[in-house]
Amino acid sequence: MFLEQLVNGITLGSIYAIVALGYTLVFGVLDIINMAHGEIFMFGAFVGLLIVSKTGAPLPLAFLGAVVATAAMGLLLERLALRPLRDRPGASHLASLISTIGVSILLENVAHKLFGAGNHLFETPFADIRFKIGPVTVYLVQAVILLISLLLMAGLALWLSRSRAGKALRATAENLETAGLLGVDTNRMITATVVIASAMGGVAGVLVGMAFNYINNQIGLSMGLKGLAIIIFGGMGSVYGAMAGGLILGLSETFVVAYGSSGYRDAIAFVAIIVVLLIKPQGLFGQAPAETGR
Amino acid sequence: MPLEGLNPYHLQVGSFVLINVILGVSIFVTLSTGQLSLGNAGFMSIGAYAAALLSTQHQVPIPVGILAGSLLAGVAGILVGIPSLRLSGVYLAIATLGFGEVLRAVLINWESLTGGAVGIASIPQMGRVILAWGRDRGFSPESLGLQSNQFISLSVFLILLLCTILTVAFFLRLSRSRVGRAYAAIRLDERAAEATGIPITYFKVLAFSQGALLSGFAGALFAHSTSFVSPEDFTYHRAVEILVFAVFGGSEHILGPVFGAAFLTIVPEALRSISDYRYIIYGLLLVLMMVFRPQGVIDPPLIRRFRRSGRGASA
Repeated sequence: MFLEQLVNGITLGSIYAIVALGYTLVFGVLDIINMAHGEIFMFGAFVGLLIVSKTGAPLPLAFLGAVVATAAMGLLLERLALRPLRDRPGASHLASLISTIGVSILLENVAHKLFGAGNHLFETPFADIRFKIGPVTVYLVQAVILLISLLLMAGLALWLSRSRAGKALRATAENLETAGLLGVDTNRMITATVVIASAMGGVAGVLVGMAFNYINNQIGLSMGLKGLAIIIFGGMGSVYGAMAGGLILGLSETFVVAYGSSGYRDAIAFVAIIVVLLIKPQGLFGQAPAETGR
Repeated sequence: MPLEGLNPYHLQVGSFVLINVILGVSIFVTLSTGQLSLGNAGFMSIGAYAAALLSTQHQVPIPVGILAGSLLAGVAGILVGIPSLRLSGVYLAIATLGFGEVLRAVLINWESLTGGAVGIASIPQMGRVILAWGRDRGFSPESLGLQSNQFISLSVFLILLLCTILTVAFFLRLSRSRVGRAYAAIRLDERAAEATGIPITYFKVLAFSQGALLSGFAGALFAHSTSFVSPEDFTYHRAVEILVFAVFGGSEHILGPVFGAAFLTIVPEALRSISDYRYIIYGLLLVLMMVFRPQGVIDPPLIRRFRRSGRGASA
């Protein structure tokens, strides 16, 4: 029982981590919270669902379709709702928050129009296959989810730390202007970041469909709120904080539901961040903001 | 008699506009010290539930219940505001959003008190109570040429109008007082304000709890206007909607959130004929607005220009 709950918790947590990574990447580079990320994620889930259910295509194609669709949405988001604000001097940091909220309202209602409000069954062909490792029953779906999430996280960490583009991205995150002066095409890096973050949202969308067996046009909101809680919890802009925070949240939710009350499940994330913020305002893995000299 | 044409539906939309104006002012007050709160939906729920429970379970008169609900929300605002002093910007926004979500989970799960996800029904409605009170004293709305439901909607609207005017007038006056100047100084530069001897802790908590109190007030009025509250009324969407009132309308002058609340409440209603698309349009509107006028519709230069042209016309 305990070990199985552990597996459930890690599976859920790794999905949370991928969702949170989408927020943290954009925040790290742009210092804004992309409130539309949850809805982009939800579209990824629907595109994956349509590919699997309408064409009967295999799962990898669903991932591919979701990634292409959400990457395109990320590109549009950056071009139409973020860049025009960036080019305006004097726009407050509230402006980009509201602008992405506008996009999220738009997308949620477009999804409502296209797919309706009800639950859609997300069938994975190998949903019933399970195997035993010692005393623990593990579903193949869980193993696949875990594998994909780990690959994605490792790939991202490697790309950020080793590749030239990753270095440029970190430089842009460190200081936009200085990076620009040093020859980094910052606009391109920002676009790349938003596109990559959105594509990760697409992957997460399909993973959620696989894990929960159903999706609806509200999952963007509920997962989005948890993603937000995780990046605060783990430290804004911290990639490893998002991963650790996601796992911790997934595990604590699973265990609270298993051994306590399910009614407060969705509140756990927020209780956790309120506590963390009061003890360590910059988050578990965040760095204390440098005092600005005057 | 012109009153005969009164449409209860229009009055109801008008009442929602007024409640939203109060909510818009509540976020404006908090924002005017540079604190970005997404907790006002939570404070609103405190006011609404307190007023609803007092009147349904303890037969407390409505005005007393509304007052108690507002004060309770204000006290909650102090309790949340003090620890939140350590946070700013998006951290504060998300922590207050978290407060609202936790509170909503409590409302859903504490079924014995709050009625759970179903909420509280048959809360005394202000208009009906007034009508019953008048009927006992031999008054009939027909003497004004009104149907009963027209009279009910009209009296709710007028009470809310009075509350809204008083609220806006109070905070307009406040913004020109010592407190308002302290708020503005803190918003512009917290450290400089502190250096000039403004007790920023005091004023930031004051602004936060004023906003909370006002949200609770709006919530209590809401409970007694619709006669029904449930946790669904105080979700993330409500919190965002309240923030958007101020940011869309303009967060630098109190008329900004007033305009924002009125405009953004009426637009979805006016678009009801194309109801499938109205929130899509609403979302688009927000994006376009931030691209072309990020400071909001109403900003101080606009108000100055209006004043000047008004004076020019009268001179």
